Amino acid sequence: MKQDYFSANNIKYIDYKDIEILKRFLNPSGKIMSHKRTGVTSKNQRALANAIKHARFLGLLPFVVK
Amino acid sequence: MEFMPEEEVKDEKEISEDANSKVYELGYLLVPTIPEEDVPAVYGNLKELVSSLGGVAISDEMPKKIPLAYAMLKVAANVREKFNTAYFGWSKFTMDSDKILELKKKLDLDPKLIRFLLLKTVKENTIAAKRFVRGEMHKRPVMRKNGDSGAVVPINKEEIDKEIDALIAV
Repeated sequence: MKQDYFSANNIKYIDYKDIEILKRFLNPSGKIMSHKRTGVTSKNQRALANAIKHARFLGLLPFVVK
Repeated sequence: MEFMPEEEVKDEKEISEDANSKVYELGYLLVPTIPEEDVPAVYGNLKELVSSLGGVAISDEMPKKIPLAYAMLKVAANVREKFNTAYFGWSKFTMDSDKILELKKKLDLDPKLIRFLLLKTVKENTIAAKRFVRGEMHKRPVMRKNGDSGAVVPINKEEIDKEIDALIAV
Protein backbone atom coordinates (compact mmCIF):
# COMPACT_ATOMS: atom_id res chain seq x y z
CA MET A 1 0.00 0.00 0.00
CA LYS A 2 1.85 3.06 -1.20
CA GLN A 3 -1.08 5.44 -1.50
CA ASP A 4 -3.20 6.58 1.41
CA TYR A 5 -6.08 4.08 1.73
CA PHE A 6 -8.59 6.62 3.04
CA SER A 7 -8.10 9.31 0.41
CA ALA A 8 -7.94 6.66 -2.32
CA ASN A 9 -11.35 5.35 -1.24
CA ASN A 10 -12.78 8.80 -0.52
CA ILE A 11 -13.29 8.18 3.21
CA LYS A 12 -13.54 11.51 4.99
CA TYR A 13 -14.51 10.37 8.45
CA ILE A 14 -12.90 7.28 9.95
CA ASP A 15 -15.59 5.54 11.98
CA TYR A 16 -14.74 3.45 15.04
CA LYS A 17 -17.60 1.04 14.22
CA ASP A 18 -16.16 -0.02 10.88
CA ILE A 19 -14.01 -2.81 12.25
CA GLU A 20 -13.32 -4.44 8.90
CA ILE A 21 -11.42 -1.38 7.73
CA LEU A 22 -9.69 -0.78 11.05
CA LYS A 23 -8.47 -4.39 11.17
CA ARG A 24 -6.38 -3.83 8.05
CA PHE A 25 -4.22 -1.47 10.04
CA LEU A 26 -3.51 -3.83 12.94
CA ASN A 27 -0.61 -6.26 12.97
CA PRO A 28 -1.17 -9.89 14.07
CA SER A 29 -0.66 -9.03 17.72
CA GLY A 30 -3.21 -6.20 17.58
CA LYS A 31 -0.85 -3.23 17.47
CA ILE A 32 -1.49 -0.27 15.18
CA MET A 33 0.75 -0.45 12.11
CA SER A 34 3.14 2.36 11.30
CA HIS A 35 2.18 4.82 8.59
CA LYS A 36 5.52 4.04 6.97
CA ARG A 37 4.22 0.54 6.33
CA THR A 38 0.69 1.43 5.26
CA GLY A 39 1.23 4.76 3.47
CA VAL A 40 -1.53 6.53 5.42
CA THR A 41 -1.10 10.31 5.63
CA SER A 42 -0.21 11.82 9.00
CA LYS A 43 -3.64 13.43 9.35
CA ASN A 44 -5.46 10.19 8.62
CA GLN A 45 -3.06 8.20 10.79
CA ARG A 46 -4.04 10.33 13.80
CA ALA A 47 -7.75 9.91 13.06
CA LEU A 48 -7.22 6.18 12.48
CA ALA A 49 -5.40 5.79 15.80
CA ASN A 50 -8.28 7.51 17.60
CA ALA A 51 -10.86 5.33 15.84
CA ILE A 52 -8.97 2.15 16.76
CA LYS A 53 -8.67 3.26 20.37
CA HIS A 54 -12.40 3.99 20.58
CA ALA A 55 -13.17 0.58 19.07
CA ARG A 56 -10.86 -1.06 21.62
CA PHE A 57 -12.62 0.71 24.48
CA LEU A 58 -15.97 -0.69 23.38
CA GLY A 59 -14.60 -4.21 22.97
CA LEU A 60 -14.92 -4.24 19.18
CA LEU A 61 -11.17 -4.68 18.74
CA PRO A 62 -8.66 -6.30 21.09
CA PHE A 63 -5.93 -4.44 22.94
CA VAL A 64 -3.65 -7.48 22.63
CA VAL A 65 -3.96 -10.69 20.66
CA LYS A 66 -2.39 -13.45 22.67
CA MET B 1 -33.89 49.77 5.25
CA GLU B 2 -35.64 49.36 8.59
CA PHE B 3 -36.39 45.72 7.91
CA MET B 4 -32.83 44.80 7.13
CA PRO B 5 -31.36 44.99 10.65
CA GLU B 6 -34.22 42.91 12.11
CA GLU B 7 -33.66 40.11 9.65
CA GLU B 8 -29.97 40.15 10.32
CA VAL B 9 -30.56 39.81 14.05
CA LYS B 10 -32.83 36.81 13.47
CA ASP B 11 -30.21 35.16 11.30
CA GLU B 12 -27.59 35.66 13.95
CA LYS B 13 -29.82 34.01 16.53
CA GLU B 14 -30.41 31.02 14.30
CA ILE B 15 -26.71 30.70 13.65
CA SER B 16 -25.88 30.87 17.35
CA GLU B 17 -28.44 28.13 18.09
CA ASP B 18 -27.01 25.97 15.35
CA ALA B 19 -23.50 26.54 16.59
CA ASN B 20 -24.54 25.53 20.08
CA SER B 21 -26.16 22.24 19.03
CA LYS B 22 -23.64 19.74 17.78
CA VAL B 23 -23.80 16.29 16.31
CA TYR B 24 -22.95 13.59 18.83
CA GLU B 25 -22.79 9.86 18.72
CA LEU B 26 -23.47 7.58 21.64
CA GLY B 27 -22.07 4.06 21.39
CA TYR B 28 -22.92 1.75 24.28
CA LEU B 29 -22.66 -1.79 25.56
CA LEU B 30 -25.66 -3.22 27.40
CA VAL B 31 -25.34 -5.90 30.05
CA PRO B 32 -25.89 -9.37 28.46
CA THR B 33 -28.06 -10.47 31.39
CA ILE B 34 -31.01 -8.58 29.84
CA PRO B 35 -33.27 -11.09 28.04
CA GLU B 36 -33.50 -10.48 24.29
CA GLU B 37 -37.18 -9.54 24.44
CA ASP B 38 -36.41 -6.64 26.78
CA VAL B 39 -33.65 -5.15 24.64
CA PRO B 40 -36.03 -3.02 22.49
CA ALA B 41 -37.52 -1.56 25.68
CA VAL B 42 -34.09 -0.58 27.05
CA TYR B 43 -33.21 0.84 23.64
CA GLY B 44 -36.45 2.86 23.68
CA ASN B 45 -35.64 4.19 27.15
CA LEU B 46 -32.23 5.40 25.99
CA LYS B 47 -33.82 7.14 23.02
CA GLU B 48 -36.34 8.80 25.32
CA LEU B 49 -33.54 9.96 27.61
CA VAL B 50 -31.77 11.58 24.66
CA SER B 51 -34.92 13.28 23.39
CA SER B 52 -35.88 14.43 26.91
CA LEU B 53 -32.66 16.48 26.97
CA GLY B 54 -33.51 18.12 23.65
CA GLY B 55 -31.67 15.68 21.41
CA VAL B 56 -32.88 15.14 17.85
CA ALA B 57 -32.10 11.67 16.54
CA ILE B 58 -30.34 11.41 13.17
CA SER B 59 -29.66 7.71 12.84
CA ASP B 60 -29.20 4.69 15.09
CA GLU B 61 -28.89 0.96 15.25
CA MET B 62 -30.65 -1.57 17.49
CA PRO B 63 -28.40 -3.17 20.12
CA LYS B 64 -27.04 -6.47 18.82
CA LYS B 65 -25.36 -9.20 20.78
CA ILE B 66 -21.64 -9.28 20.03
CA PRO B 67 -18.71 -11.19 21.52
CA LEU B 68 -16.35 -8.80 23.26
CA ALA B 69 -12.70 -8.73 22.23
CA TYR B 70 -11.70 -8.99 25.90
CA ALA B 71 -13.44 -9.59 29.22
CA MET B 72 -14.89 -6.47 30.82
CA LEU B 73 -15.49 -5.90 34.51
CA LYS B 74 -18.35 -3.97 36.02
CA VAL B 75 -18.92 -3.44 39.71
CA ALA B 76 -22.64 -3.21 40.46
CA ALA B 77 -23.92 -3.21 44.05
CA ASN B 78 -20.50 -4.33 45.33
CA VAL B 79 -20.50 -7.37 43.04
CA ARG B 80 -17.77 -7.74 40.46
CA GLU B 81 -19.20 -9.07 37.24
CA LYS B 82 -17.23 -10.25 34.23
CA PHE B 83 -18.70 -10.04 30.75
CA ASN B 84 -17.59 -11.72 27.53
CA THR B 85 -20.61 -10.76 25.46
CA ALA B 86 -22.74 -7.62 25.33
CA TYR B 87 -25.40 -5.87 23.30
CA PHE B 88 -23.72 -3.18 21.21
CA GLY B 89 -25.82 -0.30 19.88
CA TRP B 90 -25.29 3.28 18.83
CA SER B 91 -27.28 6.38 18.02
CA LYS B 92 -26.43 9.67 16.39
CA PHE B 93 -28.20 12.86 17.42
CA THR B 94 -27.87 16.62 17.63
CA MET B 95 -27.90 18.18 21.07
CA ASP B 96 -26.94 21.40 22.80
CA SER B 97 -23.37 21.24 24.00
CA ASP B 98 -24.39 22.26 27.54
CA LYS B 99 -26.88 19.37 27.82
CA ILE B 100 -24.37 16.69 26.91
CA LEU B 101 -22.81 16.73 30.38
CA GLU B 102 -26.23 16.08 31.91
CA LEU B 103 -26.67 13.15 29.55
CA LYS B 104 -23.27 11.77 30.54
CA LYS B 105 -24.11 12.03 34.25
CA LYS B 106 -27.39 10.17 33.72
CA LEU B 107 -25.73 7.46 31.66
CA ASP B 108 -23.04 7.04 34.32
CA LEU B 109 -25.75 5.98 36.78
CA ASP B 110 -27.43 3.50 34.43
CA PRO B 111 -26.90 -0.05 35.75
CA LYS B 112 -27.76 -1.62 32.38
CA LEU B 113 -24.76 -0.11 30.61
CA ILE B 114 -21.35 -1.74 30.85
CA ARG B 115 -19.66 1.12 29.02
CA PHE B 116 -20.57 3.96 26.74
CA LEU B 117 -18.74 6.34 24.44
CA LEU B 118 -19.89 9.89 23.64
CA LEU B 119 -18.23 11.37 20.57
CA LYS B 120 -18.56 14.45 18.44
CA THR B 121 -19.16 13.34 14.89
CA VAL B 122 -20.50 14.44 11.50
CA LYS B 123 -24.06 14.36 10.23
CA GLU B 124 -23.29 12.27 7.16
CA ASN B 125 -23.58 8.52 7.29
CA THR B 126 -20.03 7.38 7.88
CA ILE B 127 -20.55 3.67 7.29
CA ALA B 128 -22.42 3.64 3.95
CA ALA B 129 -19.50 5.16 2.06
CA LYS B 130 -17.23 2.45 3.38
CA ARG B 131 -19.56 -0.38 2.43
CA PHE B 132 -19.28 0.85 -1.12
CA VAL B 133 -15.53 0.52 -0.84
CA ARG B 134 -15.83 -2.99 0.54
CA GLY B 135 -17.99 -3.97 -2.44
CA GLU B 136 -15.23 -2.87 -4.77
CA MET B 137 -12.64 -4.77 -2.80
CA HIS B 138 -14.72 -7.95 -2.91
CA LYS B 139 -15.37 -7.85 -6.63
CA ARG B 140 -11.84 -8.74 -7.70
CA PRO B 141 -11.45 -12.06 -5.85
CA VAL B 142 -15.00 -13.12 -6.86
CA MET B 143 -14.18 -12.66 -10.53
CA ARG B 144 -11.08 -14.83 -10.23
CA LYS B 145 -12.94 -17.55 -8.33
CA ASN B 146 -15.67 -17.74 -10.97
CA GLY B 147 -13.11 -18.29 -13.69
CA ASP B 148 -11.32 -21.08 -11.80
CA SER B 149 -14.19 -22.84 -10.00
CA GLY B 150 -15.50 -24.83 -13.01
CA ALA B 151 -12.22 -26.64 -13.59
CA VAL B 152 -11.07 -26.99 -9.97
CA VAL B 153 -14.12 -28.44 -8.17
CA PRO B 154 -14.22 -32.01 -9.64
CA ILE B 155 -10.47 -32.50 -9.10
CA ASN B 156 -10.69 -31.18 -5.56
CA LYS B 157 -12.96 -33.96 -4.28
CA GLU B 158 -10.56 -36.72 -5.28
CA GLU B 159 -7.60 -34.80 -3.94
CA ILE B 160 -9.36 -34.21 -0.65
CA ASP B 161 -10.20 -37.93 -0.37
CA LYS B 162 -6.57 -38.82 -0.97
CA GLU B 163 -5.39 -36.26 1.56
CA ILE B 164 -7.82 -37.58 4.16
CA ASP B 165 -6.65 -41.17 3.51
CA ALA B 166 -3.06 -40.04 3.89
CA LEU B 167 -3.87 -38.30 7.17
CA ILE B 168 -5.70 -41.34 8.54
CA ALA B 169 -2.78 -43.59 7.57
CA VAL B 170 -0.39 -41.39 9.54
